[in-house]
Amino acid sequence: MGTLFSFRITSKNFSNWGYSFKLQQATGAGGNEVKVTQYLAVFSNILHRLRFPKFLAIVSQELDKDCEEIFEGLIQHGRLTLDQICDRAGSDKSGGGDSTVRAAVRENFNKLLNARFIERCPAPEPFLEPPTETKSSNKRGAKSAKLDGAPETEEQRIIAAAAPIEVLRFSNLATSGTDFDADEDVSGSSVGEKRKHGSLELNEEHGSKDKEVILWRVNFEEFIRCLRHKACIENVRARLDDGAAIVLKAMLDATRSIEKKVRTENSVPLSMNTIFEEVMKSEIGRSFTLDRVRASLVQLGCSPSDETYSIDLKKIIELAQNEEVESIVLKRYGRDAYRMFRLLSKSGHLLETDKIADMTFVEKKETPKILNKLWQDEYLHMEKLVVTATRQVSFLLWKVNKPILWDHVLDEMYHAALNLNQRLIYEQEQKENWAGIPQLEYYRCHEWVLFVFWFEMAQYLVQVPKKKICSVFVIRKLQRAAMKGKET
Amino acid sequence: MSRFQGPSSLKRKQQESSSPLDSLSEQERTVYNVIKSKQDMGIWSRDLKRETNLLDNIVNKCMKILLAKKLIKEVVTKNKGKKHFMAAEFEPSKEITGGNWYVDGSLDTEFINLLKDQCFKWIYKMRVATSEGLSDAIRRSGIFKVEFTSQQIEEIVRALVLDNKIEEVNSNGMGEFDYIPVGKVCYKCISSEGKGEPKLGAMASIPCGVCTRISECAPDGVISPKTCIYYEKWLDF
Ligand code: SF4
Repeated sequence: MGTLFSFRITSKNFSNWGYSFKLQQATGAGGNEVKVTQYLAVFSNILHRLRFPKFLAIVSQELDKDCEEIFEGLIQHGRLTLDQICDRAGSDKSGGGDSTVRAAVRENFNKLLNARFIERCPAPEPFLEPPTETKSSNKRGAKSAKLDGAPETEEQRIIAAAAPIEVLRFSNLATSGTDFDADEDVSGSSVGEKRKHGSLELNEEHGSKDKEVILWRVNFEEFIRCLRHKACIENVRARLDDGAAIVLKAMLDATRSIEKKVRTENSVPLSMNTIFEEVMKSEIGRSFTLDRVRASLVQLGCSPSDETYSIDLKKIIELAQNEEVESIVLKRYGRDAYRMFRLLSKSGHLLETDKIADMTFVEKKETPKILNKLWQDEYLHMEKLVVTATRQVSFLLWKVNKPILWDHVLDEMYHAALNLNQRLIYEQEQKENWAGIPQLEYYRCHEWVLFVFWFEMAQYLVQVPKKKICSVFVIRKLQRAAMKGKET
Repeated sequence: MSRFQGPSSLKRKQQESSSPLDSLSEQERTVYNVIKSKQDMGIWSRDLKRETNLLDNIVNKCMKILLAKKLIKEVVTKNKGKKHFMAAEFEPSKEITGGNWYVDGSLDTEFINLLKDQCFKWIYKMRVATSEGLSDAIRRSGIFKVEFTSQQIEEIVRALVLDNKIEEVNSNGMGEFDYIPVGKVCYKCISSEGKGEPKLGAMASIPCGVCTRISECAPDGVISPKTCIYYEKWLDF
């Protein structure tokens, strides 16, 4: 990935994409403990940058234009205080009293906060203790204590140390007072630059209670969650029906703020009564009977005898990922390959060439050729089995190794995204194929950002196909033809 | 058992009738016995040479004579191009011909596709179908002159599942499943329009997503997005 995207990280945008932290180290004679400030780039946040157009679209869809403006400011500057946000709005809107503008901004700001699209910035320069000896010597214990079994990376430790406590994260209680005194002298300079000031000053800002400055930033997590939910809902709509999608949406909307992890595997369990109440809140859902809701829950994989219902989101996403990869195989390698790939992907274990041919109705001679092609392109894993009986016979066994393949596909998606971007720049430079630019832009802003997302578990909107933009292009094509006609 | 009975019964046979076997030489007999011992599986010519431990040209000569006397026959297998022989009285087993779906050693794709289409149409019509229900419907429709075993229908249905045209579901005994016992495996069409085409993914809808040269493509390489002909076509309105 590193080769595909390079970013110039300035002190200004670093504030949004990186963390600085203090690390305790024992150095020097006498083992004096010193604290050193180190910097860390958070790559996932850098990648989010590519999705900003999508995030903006969500804000304007779910809230309104004014909220979008505030949000845009946060995207541009990384982190702002509420007063800075008000100032920006004030300078944009000439006319109208200062206090009315501020009141309106504050209201919109609260809307963004309630929707959890923005959050309090993590603590500046969290203090990080060195990993303790017991932890490193007792790795097994530490590992098994973690839910997912993966060892904690330094990045995760730093982010966890910096995170504000959950209650404070979306609370603007302190903002009712003056939170701006410390920033008064840096008006005009951006927030990022402010961070270059000595740590003493920062300590003053954040240390003293009466001059507390609260910085706000975009909460990427909420967007990922929001897109992930939409992705699941749309997938269910396409695969099952509208009813199942409505029930799932009601359940996810009701529990969005209680969801603990972004990539939670199961939705928060709800009782039948709560689900029914939530379904009733939507316009279409109002016509649903209790039986209809129950039937949809069964479709979604719940057992009718359950007391509380929780939907297996992980499974929905897995199905969507399978579909995405299978679709690539179908278009690239044809229908026979598609059938073989699906057979191997479903079975999950090694199968022998002839067996694959029999089960997929493909000619014996063709089968090894197709499998080989898929293997060369890293879509399949192959093992050779040599049996020595009366004579030596070798068999080829094949399987889909999902973790490795999924990684490979994600790489290809980033590569495809880069290519799309490059082609767009090229077309813009050429200024010839102007009808092609919107298509490229469309896919850049919507499609590819999203299909990379699929693989990071939250894409949707794939079903807004070329058709929609095509109608625009047909008009443009006619225009172009007309223009050409005039010239000649 | 055969080791005891074999030679004596052969002797009796030889005495009773003057079959072409009588006139075989020692070597021809060896070759013939090996082929016959393989019954309906037959034997690949190269394996035959190894098992008889005779020189290639001798085996070839013996084969010619045995073929001329119609004691053995050459059979076409699913591994076309491999010469395969079998004693005249046997019919090639399914394992070597490839089974019902093969005709003269090739997969009868046309027939398979026709049957697949019919099965798909019936499942679409029936909304939910069990494999027995489907077998029944196909038989009653009278479109095919041959009878299909339930295993054959299952093989076809499995291929349709792999094609992602139909899906396997377990009956819950409610709604459209109400006449099917709970837990029984049934089949349903994937899309409601009955087209049976899988949805195109997002990645697969841009040129690079379906490009097999993606690993060779680089910004300033020989193959590059700037000079790419697939993009040219894709952007040509
Ligand atoms: S830019 Fe063209 S050649 Fe390169 S991967 Fe994409 S489609 Fe293939």
